[in-house]
Amino acid sequence: MNSNIPFLNASIAQALDYTAPILFAALGGVMSENAGVVNIALEGMMRFAAFFGVWGSFVSGNAWVGLLWGVGIGIVLGALHAYITVKWAGDQIISGVAINVMAMGMVTYLLESIFRTTGYSPPVAYFGAPASKIHLTFLKGIPILGAFAELTILIWFALILVVVLHFVLYHTVLGLRIRAVGENPHAAETLGINVFKIKWFAVIAGSVLAAFGGLALSLGTLSSFTNSMAMGKGFIGLAAMIFGKWTPFGALGAILIFACAQVLQLFMQGTATGFAKLIPLGFYLSLPYMLTIGALIGVVGKAVGPASDGVPYKKES
Amino acid sequence: MKDVLKRIVFGKREKYWWMNALVPLISILLAFIVGAIFIKITGRSPVVAYKLLFGASGLFPGPYWKSHFAEMLLSSSMYIATGLGFAIAAKGGLFNIGAEGHFIVGGIAAAYLGYAKPFAGLPKFIHLPLIIVGVMLAGGIWGAIAGYLKAKRGIHEVITTIMLNWIALYLIEAWLVTGPMKAAVETGVSGTPYISLSAKLPKIFPPTRLNISIIIILAVTFLVWYLFYKTTFGYEIRTMGHTLIFGMEAPKAAGINVERRTIQTMFIAGAVAALGGAFMILGVLFQYPPIFEGGYGFDGIAVALIGQNEPLGVILAGILIGALRTGATTVQLAHIPKTFPSIIEGFTVAFIALQMLIRYWIMKFVMRKKKSIQSEMGGGAK
Repeated sequence: MNSNIPFLNASIAQALDYTAPILFAALGGVMSENAGVVNIALEGMMRFAAFFGVWGSFVSGNAWVGLLWGVGIGIVLGALHAYITVKWAGDQIISGVAINVMAMGMVTYLLESIFRTTGYSPPVAYFGAPASKIHLTFLKGIPILGAFAELTILIWFALILVVVLHFVLYHTVLGLRIRAVGENPHAAETLGINVFKIKWFAVIAGSVLAAFGGLALSLGTLSSFTNSMAMGKGFIGLAAMIFGKWTPFGALGAILIFACAQVLQLFMQGTATGFAKLIPLGFYLSLPYMLTIGALIGVVGKAVGPASDGVPYKKES
Repeated sequence: MKDVLKRIVFGKREKYWWMNALVPLISILLAFIVGAIFIKITGRSPVVAYKLLFGASGLFPGPYWKSHFAEMLLSSSMYIATGLGFAIAAKGGLFNIGAEGHFIVGGIAAAYLGYAKPFAGLPKFIHLPLIIVGVMLAGGIWGAIAGYLKAKRGIHEVITTIMLNWIALYLIEAWLVTGPMKAAVETGVSGTPYISLSAKLPKIFPPTRLNISIIIILAVTFLVWYLFYKTTFGYEIRTMGHTLIFGMEAPKAAGINVERRTIQTMFIAGAVAALGGAFMILGVLFQYPPIFEGGYGFDGIAVALIGQNEPLGVILAGILIGALRTGATTVQLAHIPKTFPSIIEGFTVAFIALQMLIRYWIMKFVMRKKKSIQSEMGGGAK
């Protein structure tokens, strides 16, 4: 047998670990923006949820309780964003900026006042512990599939969610309504769809998904909260959503490309020779963002969002 | 008569023009109240916290007032720069999230021009203006990229500016600072080499570190105001901003070259925001460090929103945020983290996003007042 298989599988598993938080964030964006509400607060929501998840797990000693706390703060933040942008037709970007700024200040404040540390929380019960991972021992040793032998439940959830969200958006009445509201809310209203209700639902659901992204960071990859979270992963998620043309599978594909760039970069740092060595690290790190702009320019296919994305909806009286 | 006077004196044509000033004030007040509740819930005293915060903010005389005041103006000048970067673009109907990127691009340009060989030997009165021009060009070009993509390809500037921020960050921190611009190993300096003496901004208020950055930025703010309200160019840009929701058809019909103006607006926005980065390097750090503690760009968005995108408002909001950040270093005495002002800032921006609600409240209040006056005057008739 080839001795490279464990290495290959480990690399893929690493890529999946990198993928999950960003995928959650991107799917949150897909949900919200298909209903016409831009959410640039994905980053802040991830930060809040990453912290609350660790807090809940710290208090209870149970990672599932942490998960619930994270989802709870996701609902609260989603409701705040919806209250500002849907109920009062406030500017969606400004609201997003507000949540991001709040996330910086408030989470650091809570981190210092609850754990009495500045940089990171103490380790807590998490989903990445060997006992809580999902073991599919029969896959071990098989190339590529072997990477799926030992994953956290959150990674599985993220992957399954892509299919679920695709089904909901494109094969159910609810999904049709969400997309109708994002494309043309006035037309949707005349068909008897409650535009505000759909928007409220989509924004909160999207925010909860972003919260899962934060949880995948602090309770999946790591077992504690570090103050640099979410390290721009929310913004990569935003980029992936656009690169993936506002669809769940598109977002997944985009993130897998980003993840490959990431793994490639880690690989290059160690072993690159010749021409590849000449390309500095910064180019690999900024590749996802350059690709996204490239996608928007039309180099990699044209990316067009929902028609009424970002436009506050006001009922005509 | 009174109406005409108001129009002449204040230049305001709206009926409830004073609301534009009242909304940010109420938002700030509400944010402080929410902040106080937050401190109270987490088991600390809001009175002590605010006393410490404002005591060391440099706004009010007190012990060490001189140095607090200097520090406040020092950071305010950077917040005003990035705030203007946002406000200039906003006037033209563009949502510029890119001030963070412009800031660090300005910073790295200032560092390079400050230490690089052919420039470093020049006399100060040539070297310093040269750096400022170079910085504004670099930031302007970085800003113009987003403007170009918007004008020629129709890509939303929020997305491109966010992406360009990260590209700038990684290219600078993971390439320039650790690669071609790294200081020689023998010097023991991490990050870029230190800038030459001729590149440092002159101090104006010894013994503090206050330098001419605040004067430069006030002059720039005046120029921006002049540009927007006294020139045809500014008028055209404001027209674009006002008719944004109608898809720019009106300015196009009026013969404005919307594409060119969009690129120019983003160039100016980037150039001004980049000045903030130059202030940081030329007046505070004197080199570009390996890890740059950023955030000025994102805070600049808050500054502009609180200042309602008006030059004067941006100055006032910039001073407020600068004062909060300066005072924040002492709230740690009350066991409150120094990121506390971000909470106030975040809530202020949230309330400004909620301005429809605040305007609704004010109108309700005004209407009730009017009604009660009417019923008092005509009480008998009804």
